Amino acid sequence: MSAVLYHGEPNGASLTVLAALAESGVTIECRHIDLLAGERHALSGVTESIALDLGIEGEGPVLMVDGEAMTESVFLAQYFDEAAGGAGLQPADAYARWEMMMWCRQITERLSPAAALLGNMANAQDAIAAIPADAFGALASSIVSDDLRERWQDLHDGKIDAAQIADSEAKVAAAVERCEKQLADGRDWLMGSFSIADLVTYSWLAGMQTLQAAAFADASHTQAWLARVAARPSVQAALAKATVPEPLRAWAPGPEINRWG
Amino acid sequence: MDEVTLYHWEPNANSGKPMLALMEKGVPFVSRYTDMLLFDQHKPEYLAINPQGTIPAMTHNGLVLTESTAIMEYVNDRFDGPDLMPADAQDSWRVRWWMKFMDQWLGPSFSMIGWSVFVGPMVRQRDPAELDAAIERIPLPERRVAWRKAISGAFSETEMAESRRRVGLGIAKLEEELGKRPYVGSDQYTLADINIFNSTYSLPLSQPDLAGKDKTPNIMRWLKRVYARDAVKKTWAMGKTDLASRYGLIMAEIEE
Repeated sequence: MSAVLYHGEPNGASLTVLAALAESGVTIECRHIDLLAGERHALSGVTESIALDLGIEGEGPVLMVDGEAMTESVFLAQYFDEAAGGAGLQPADAYARWEMMMWCRQITERLSPAAALLGNMANAQDAIAAIPADAFGALASSIVSDDLRERWQDLHDGKIDAAQIADSEAKVAAAVERCEKQLADGRDWLMGSFSIADLVTYSWLAGMQTLQAAAFADASHTQAWLARVAARPSVQAALAKATVPEPLRAWAPGPEINRWG
Repeated sequence: MDEVTLYHWEPNANSGKPMLALMEKGVPFVSRYTDMLLFDQHKPEYLAINPQGTIPAMTHNGLVLTESTAIMEYVNDRFDGPDLMPADAQDSWRVRWWMKFMDQWLGPSFSMIGWSVFVGPMVRQRDPAELDAAIERIPLPERRVAWRKAISGAFSETEMAESRRRVGLGIAKLEEELGKRPYVGSDQYTLADINIFNSTYSLPLSQPDLAGKDKTPNIMRWLKRVYARDAVKKTWAMGKTDLASRYGLIMAEIEE
């Protein structure tokens, strides 16, 4: 089996997957790619490309196994856990597993698009807008997904949708509230025992602490939990793969905002 | 003794997923038909089960489960019977990927079209004041918006065009996938087949320009294989509206 994990800076989806890989103990070669240079859309040796072409997560990491491009951070985390023969990242009990998957879906459907929008506006838009027209045209034409290309284009054009920003801020605040409620009984981890839910939630929320500080002001449980996740060796190992001083400020176009609200 | 109750509408889209998963596993369940067209899912007795007011929902020995794909995963994990997930980790990843692609990218477009041609016109015949009151009872704000649009036929041309684009592309990709493997994402019948079948079983009728014996032979072969399953026949026999009768029409076409 030949496998390579192509990842961006350790933030968002790339952070989840790098940390899950470290938690699982599976050994796979990791290669950093520059997401804002469009390198994710110029990978060589792809024989099965649908998940790369039409993935929902946007510029997330790509695990290439024997030519098949595998995407979506939660499913890659599950893959590592299962390929390791059960690394403890998913609860054994069926109902607890259902709760974890429901939690992860809330995060990837609501928090991820919101955090990606705010993070990109704050930290990636200038860089994307600065790409010269020729180079941007070439980059855009290498993106297969129409809706992902549109998100790149909006950032390039400096399009600002006030309603979407307000909606995203509300979704970040709602995610913090959800965490605060979940952690209120004094538990260490979101699902009781440590799981993919902690990794995926941390990965999208950690970068919001600087951008949306007010949302965290009264959330002492959440702050303490973020610090616990940050201290895990797997998260430290993932963050150590950064090529920039502040990886939690590194963003690239993410998932689309749910079309049905 | 396991007590399983399923609150569901027609064997179609989201309601059909847990119905079919339970049937495939051979798990006996109490069926509570919840009529979406009568807004049963927003009535107090149902909101006591699922405060979000979405169907389907399942109770199992006092536990409440929601979200159709997640319920299917629970059913497969929790009960004996044939395993509806592949043993191989990469195959499992592929099954999950396809389910997310359907649930979050392609499915909403199918349902926007379905609502505009089927649900909207059926519901619209009722008393507007009564409809308005029914919509006000919907707990999730985004579902209120969706219902208002469906009832008034107010999906914008841009929204409908994007949905049609996605349906066309999604069908083409599914056709490609089923040219590689006998089932969606793996060589065995799994939750991905159940998931996608529930939104595509009537394609040859609903999208004749995009799907059919000549245009999508792989999809047709797969549909035929899935239609032949006992669990599918039993589940579709539980339908009460025209949606289920489409099953018979397509079977006839496939058998030709």
